[in-house]
Formats: sequence, C-alpha cells, structure tokens
Amino acid sequence: MAQTQVGGNKKKVTNVLSMAGLIVIFAAYMFPFVMVVINSLKQKRDIIKSPFSWLFTIKGLSFDNFVKAFTQMDFLNAFVNSLIVTVSATVLVTILASMLAYYIVRHKNKLSKLIFALMVASMIIPFQAIMIPLVSIYGGTLSVLNHRVTLIFMHTGFSMAMSVFMFHGFINGNIPIALEEAAYIDGCTHMQTYFGIVFPLLKPIISTMVILNALAFWNDFLLPSLVLTDKKLLTLPLSTYSFYGTYSADYGTIMAGLLLCVIPILILYVVLQKQIINGVVAGAVK
Amino acid sequence: MKRKAVSRISLGLSLVLLSTVLSGCTFGFASDPDDPNEIVREEPIDTSVDTFQYDSSLKGTSITLLNSKAEIQVALGKMAAEYEKKSGVHVEVMPVTDGDSPYTKIVSLYNSGNPPTLSILDTTDVIALAKEKAADLTEEAWVAEAEGYLTEIDGKIYGFPLCIEGRGIIYNKAVIEETLGEPFDPASITTLEEFTGLLDRLAAAGMERPLSLAKEDWSLGAHHLQYIYETYDGTSEGAQEVIEQIKAGQMDLASYDRLEQFLNAFDVLRKYNVSVKDPLGADYDEMAIDLADGKTAFWFNGNWAWPNLSEAGADSGDAYGFLPYFLNNDPSDFANQMIQGSPSKQVMLDGQMASEKEQAAAKEFLNWIVYSEIGQQMLVKTCNIIPPFKNNPYEPGDPLSRDIYDKVHEGRAFNASAIVPNDHWSVLGAAMQKYLAGRSDRQELIDSIQKYWDEQK
Amino acid sequence: MKSKSNGKDFCVFALPGLFCFVAVLIVPFLYGVYLTLTDWNGVSREKHFVGLQNFAAVIRDQQFWSSLLLTFTYVIFVVVIVNVLAFGIAWLLTRGIKGQNFFRAGFFTPNLIGGIVLGYIWQFVFSRVFVSIGDSTGWSLFEASWLSDPIKAFAALVLVSVWQLSGYMILIYVAGFMGLSEDVMEAASIDGASGFVKLKNIIMPLMMSSITICLFLTLSRAFMVYDVNLSLTGGAPYGTTEMAAMHVYEKAFTSRQFGVGQAEALVLFIITACISGLQVYLTKKKEVEA
Repeated sequence: MAQTQVGGNKKKVTNVLSMAGLIVIFAAYMFPFVMVVINSLKQKRDIIKSPFSWLFTIKGLSFDNFVKAFTQMDFLNAFVNSLIVTVSATVLVTILASMLAYYIVRHKNKLSKLIFALMVASMIIPFQAIMIPLVSIYGGTLSVLNHRVTLIFMHTGFSMAMSVFMFHGFINGNIPIALEEAAYIDGCTHMQTYFGIVFPLLKPIISTMVILNALAFWNDFLLPSLVLTDKKLLTLPLSTYSFYGTYSADYGTIMAGLLLCVIPILILYVVLQKQIINGVVAGAVK
Repeated sequence: MKRKAVSRISLGLSLVLLSTVLSGCTFGFASDPDDPNEIVREEPIDTSVDTFQYDSSLKGTSITLLNSKAEIQVALGKMAAEYEKKSGVHVEVMPVTDGDSPYTKIVSLYNSGNPPTLSILDTTDVIALAKEKAADLTEEAWVAEAEGYLTEIDGKIYGFPLCIEGRGIIYNKAVIEETLGEPFDPASITTLEEFTGLLDRLAAAGMERPLSLAKEDWSLGAHHLQYIYETYDGTSEGAQEVIEQIKAGQMDLASYDRLEQFLNAFDVLRKYNVSVKDPLGADYDEMAIDLADGKTAFWFNGNWAWPNLSEAGADSGDAYGFLPYFLNNDPSDFANQMIQGSPSKQVMLDGQMASEKEQAAAKEFLNWIVYSEIGQQMLVKTCNIIPPFKNNPYEPGDPLSRDIYDKVHEGRAFNASAIVPNDHWSVLGAAMQKYLAGRSDRQELIDSIQKYWDEQK
Repeated sequence: MKSKSNGKDFCVFALPGLFCFVAVLIVPFLYGVYLTLTDWNGVSREKHFVGLQNFAAVIRDQQFWSSLLLTFTYVIFVVVIVNVLAFGIAWLLTRGIKGQNFFRAGFFTPNLIGGIVLGYIWQFVFSRVFVSIGDSTGWSLFEASWLSDPIKAFAALVLVSVWQLSGYMILIYVAGFMGLSEDVMEAASIDGASGFVKLKNIIMPLMMSSITICLFLTLSRAFMVYDVNLSLTGGAPYGTTEMAAMHVYEKAFTSRQFGVGQAEALVLFIITACISGLQVYLTKKKEVEA
C-alpha cells in the first residue's frame, strides 16, 4: 500500500516535470505556426518591421489577406479539385497498398521478397531524377497529362512504396495468422477473409497512413505542377502561385492562403486521431 | 466501428466544406472595391478607339502564353481577356511558379508534348531553345519598331522584346534634401569621388549608412558583376567580345581596368551599406521600407523594385530616380553618365508543335500589343512595362520606370546586355557574396571569375 | 492462403498496386538511367549514345563531392536528433498525461506546412525574428542572421529539418508505443534508478520495428533534402550549404548539363540505397533477436 503511494507521488513529480518539458518543446514547435497565424492578419509592412507584435497593437489588422487569398486562389474551385484528387488517391492507395503488403507478408517467396526490396529501394529515388522522364513518357508518348485521373494514378504510384512498407511492418507484427485460418475453415474466400477480418484490424495503421498520404497529396506542389496546367483543374497549392513574385513575395497573402489550405487537413487530422486511439483500444480488447 | 469512422470523416469534411462556403460568403461581402489599403492603383484604359485589323478567320483559336514574369501575371490575364473580346482568340496565361525556373518549366512542357504557344523567357533561354524549337519572327512588322532591342541568332530573330528594364543606384530625392538641408540635383554627381563625397556628407548629417545593398545572388552575380562586361564599350557586341576574350584567356582579368573600377565602386557601396555589420543578413523587403521611410537614401536595384517601394508606402508622385553605377573619376566616361537599360524578357513563339493557325493567332497577339491602341495602353498602364517599341506613345506611371524611360529617350542610357551562361549568376553570385561578407579578397574573386570562364570552354 | 491459388492471389492482391508503382516509378527511373548514357540536353530532338561520359563528368565535378560530404554531416545530425527527440516525445505522449491528444496534434503541425512555404517562414524567423530578439536582448547568438554564417546556416538547416521531420516520426513512434501491451506500458511508466535499464532492455527491443522504419525514413529523407534547402538557405551564404539533391537540380537545370545532373542523381541514389540498406539490415537483425 505504502509502496504504491510512494510510486504514485514519484510518478506525479515526474509527470509534472515531463509535462513542463513537454510544454517548452511544444511552444518551440508551435512558434512558426503561431507566427503564420499572427502575420496572416497584418499588412506586409508590419510583417516585415514588427513580426512579433500582437494583433491588438497593429493598426493594419484586417482580414484583407484572407479576402485576397480567397479570391485570387479561386478557392472553392481549387478546394474541390484538391478534395477529389486527395480523397480518390488516398482511398486507392490505402486499399491497394494494404492488399499488396498483406500479399507480401503472407507469401514469403522470392517474388514477394523481390517486390518488397524494390519498393524499399525506390523510396530513395530522388524525385528530380525521374521528373523529366516521367513527363516525357506520360506527356510525350501517352499524352495523358492534364487529367485528374493521371494525377490520382501518379499520386497512388508514388506513395505505394512507403505505404506498403508501413502496412507490411504492421501486418507482420500485429496480425496473427490464426484468425485467418479460422476464417478459411469456415469457408471464407481470400477476399472475404481479407476485407472481413484483416482489414478492420488494420485500423490504427490505416488511420496513420490516411493522414500521412492525404497530407502529402493535399500539399504536394511539384507533381501537380508537372501534370496539371489547365486552370480549371488546379489544386490548392498550385493556386497560390501568384503570391510569389520574381523579386519578392506577398507574405501576408501567402500566410493567409496557407492557412486556408491547411485548415481542412487539420480538421481531418483531429477527426482521425480519435480513430487511431479507438482502433488500438478495440484491438487490445479483442 | 468502421462505418462510424467513415461517417465521422465525412462529417468532418462536410463541416469543412460548409465553413468554407460560409466564410466564402462573408468574405464576398466584406471585400470592398474602394479599399484604401488596396495598393494596386490602376490607370483606366481607353478602349473607345481601336483601329487594329483583326483576322476574323482566327476566331475561336486558343493559344497559351507561359509567363515567367510573376508580377504581371494578373495584368497579362486582363490583357488576354481584352484581346479575346476584340479578336475572338483565347489566350490562356500560364504561370511559372517560384519553385522552378522558367527553363525547367519550358523543358518539362516540351517533354510533355504540350508546350505553350508563346513563352516569356530570359534572353539566354531563348538562345538555348531558338534553333530547336522557336518560330522565325524576322519578318514580323514590329521588328522595325523595336530596333536596337532585338537579339539576333544567326541573323534571325526569334524573340519579341517585351520590356526594357534598367538598373542603377536608386535615390530618394526628398530624403537626401531633408537630411542635407539643401536641394539635390542628381545630375551634379558625375564621378565616384563625388558620389563618395555625397555619402560622406549624408553620414555627417546623421545618416550613418545611407545605402542598401541586396545580398541576393542574382543581384550580386548578375546586376552588379555584369557591369564588367557591359561597360566594356557600352554595347552588347562589346560585352560579347570581352567575354570571348576572357574565355580564350586573352584577357588578363587582374589588369582589366573595368574589373578594377567595378571593385572600387563596389567597395564604396560595401562601406556605406546599411547592414555593414551583417551584409549577408540583409533583407530585401526591408530595403524597400528603409528607402521609403528615409532610413537610407540609396538602394542598388532596378525599376522592377517599384512594387516593393509602393508597398512600403512610396507614392508614384515621389521623386525617385537612378544614379549611374559610378566606376571612376572621369566625368566623361559613359559609365558615369549613363545608366544601363536593355530588354530583359523575350517572348518566343513555338514553331515545333503549334499549328499554323495557332502561330498566326500568336503573331496577331504580338502585333496587337505593338500596334493596337488598347494593346499599347495595356502594356504600359496595366502591366507597368517600359515598352521597347518606338511607336508606343504612352509613358510609364511610376517614377522608377519613368526615369528609365526618360533616360532611354534622352540618350542617357546604354543598351548593353551581356549574354552569359545560365548559371553565371548563381556561381559567381556566390563568389560575390563571399567578397561582400569580407571572407575573400579581390584576388580570390578574380580567380573565381577566371575559373568560371575556363570551365565554359 | 495456400499455394494452389497463388497466381490468382497475386493478380488480385498484389498486381494492381504493383502496376501503379512500376508504371509511375520504375519505368521513368529506368528511362532516366538510359538518359545518363546519352548526350540529351532535355530539349533536343536527337539523343546520341555517349557511354559513360556523363559519369566521368560526375567524378570531375568537385562541387558535387563536397556537397555530398556536407550531406553526410547533415544526415548524421538530423537522423540522431530527430529519432532521439521523437522517441522521447512519443514516449511522453503515450503515458496518459492530460491533453496528450492536443499535444499530438500540435507536434504534427509542422507537417501541415508544405516544403517551400516552410522554408520561407523559417527564413523570416532566422533573419528577422531572431535578429530582433538579438537587438533587444543583446544576446550575441542572435546578433546577426544565422543564415549569413556558413556554420550557423548549416545549423539552421538541421534545426528546421528536425522540427519538420520529428513530427512525422512522433506519429509513427506513438503508433508503435500504442501497439505495445498494457503490461509493457506499465513497465515503461515506472520510473526510478532502473527506468533507463528497463527502457533499454524491455521497451527498445519491442519498439525495434518502429525504430527501423523511422531510421529508414529519416535517413532517406535527409539524404534527399531539397525543398527546405532551396527555400531556407538556397545554398547561401556563398554556396556553403548546397546539399547533394540541390546540386543535382542546379546542375541539370541551372547549369543545363542535363545528362550530368541525371547521372549525379543516380550516384546519389546508389549511395543512399547502400547506406539505408545497411541500416535496415542491421536494425532488422535486432528485431529478430527481440
């Protein structure tokens, strides 16, 4: 009894200490983001001369930057484009990558080992090295650029290796084969077993991968800039181009535009974060 | 569980959607067209007179224009819309984004089999691409109007000169007069010595470091250093000649007078630099504010700096202008009398993939810019460009462009542009940064320049 | 799954994903390798086979090798700091402290800001905010912009990369910790003299798969750093912070030696592949032992 109490006190002390440490590091992490929020409400002059000053001391405080960013980005159109591309590619890569990873884990043969090795190695290919070949194949030879489907396909392909890698690690460590064998005995097909039994168990890693992939697709600039040139198809990051000048950038509008782009994905993260926890709890109960 | 997750995600997303739609509405109402904070003050365009002959067979054609001059992206869009109204030809203006260079963009577009019909590029880019990709524009009517501003490649013209840009030492007249308590006549400064004297007097009057010097490699490597080629004799041919001599090893850089003079001038700028303590920590945007506020009186830059100054609070009625980059103490030297002003961006027409009709439409668009009353006005007023075309009667509205414009028309500008390899500004810009920071001496800088050219063989 | 339906399984489970991957990554990559053997400049209609000439130019390109050396130094700093920090924070965030969900979301925010904008914001922080702190406090550390001194600019790059990458790695480590059973977590939360020993002997081995992943990801990302490099320092001051990937890009597009740039990208790839391959091999071995 006494021992637990001592342990409890000690625990409290370390908890307080680690909490304090955490808050300090946290503040450092949030600092640039806070700077973005504050400065998105100021005019360029105030941003440059007094980046630190708080909102209420600034005479130029206004939502002008947001208005300008919103209209100049053609926000709603770009938002819809980003949403279509991000959602489709995320769904596609989640399903295809988890299936591929499952195949690799459950079939330990030479072919699957080769595929896995190839995928891991491919994660280190610098994008700059395949940029020009990519556009000459898809644009020059196949002429399929400037379609959303092409971008979705490419996003899926580029994030495949990383996603397979993550799913592979999770399935390997956390999904016991016994469950599946029981299902086979009950007469389930491979597809039924996979989607009925295995896939739901992957929830924690799916949540993680959905947020990571969705974020990457949502924010990606280089690939969409190569694939899409049609104004009607531009995604959010592409639509912020006009805030950057040759000689100087329109900081206030950039920061406002950035926030407009980021808010949707931040909400997705907050929503999914609960899922990550719920998923783990559910897994532990079973 | 799974269904719940999905519903939660969709709930979240629809909330986002809803909130953006809602905020979109409020933004729409909040936006006030007469907002005093709005910086861009546009001059009205008179569209009542239009004698330009449009080719009606081109109606319905759609062409693309790649724009690498980000600051005129919006203005070009307006110009294209006006042209479409009149001609029925649609011009889609595509931007080059900050992340990649115009050259990277055009290369990837050519590889994708979808190159722009017209592209606004730097002169070096046009030279690199001309023979392989560009359409010959030698026979175009506007060639006669742009005399002196054309770049010939093997006797042919592949580029439409879009604008004249000039650079030098920008002064803020009001600030100088206020600090010294006497009228300031820019024409009274004719040598490096006199300029140094002026700086000293400003320092004595309380403005300790009266000058801003950008640390950016494009400024140091292209805008400063290229004076050593351009002032060889003040012509593009002369610049080419001196470059050939350096390349061939026939020119000893250590004893090249223009290089020594340039370094003397640069040392003066370096000494009076407002951020002399940390020259590589200088901030470009702050320089504009400092000049507009009167913390400094000079800024080495070009007429493209006006949007920055305007944002910093400068008014288009204020007295800003350019002093030459004084190289020595001989008042009769052209380098001390004139500022550099030459065409900087060229429009190239694709001759490889564009159809004949598209090419014809593109050519009409270029002619429209030069010859139609509306095009002429919009080039100068909407895009705020100094036109290289003799027949354009409009004068630029901001003081920097106006000063360049006046100097060009009064013969107080020399038109020399050195055609250097594309990595010149970045490689030698780094060498100049090192010199600016005092971490290398003249010998090391000269060696880097020589080494750079040796590698270009 | 038994082997008689292996072919069908392969088609259903593996093929769709594999197809996307091969079509988008492998095919262009192989085409890129072919291009290193030609004199193609990126725009011309003809390409001629030139053998290993481009690779000879890579060997001669001193700047490439010095940028590679700098990249190595950078990778070591980034990999060590990111993983220690992320592991520690993830550990703290899975002990059930108040507001841990809020913290987790917060630590992830750096990832919400995409590469190029991120560099601009930090550039602004280093050249303006820190200097204004230095002005008012007189701290010599912040007296001048970090970005104007080669060593401090390098430190700035490391700092920003750590800031950005660790958020990502925290997420993975958190998932790893949450995958551990309650008993293990209980053990992990008991502090005292034996706390570190327990961490080393109980927690670390069980976390080895997360560690493998995080090490691999930080290693490969650090080797290929480009966005942050370009927008934060752009190689400044005077080219002292130009990392390998940025040099490759500059070579191909600014210096317009497309073949040489492509060949350098390949060399960078091979070096990174060898090092991360070795790392995965070594840490995987530990995983098996555990």
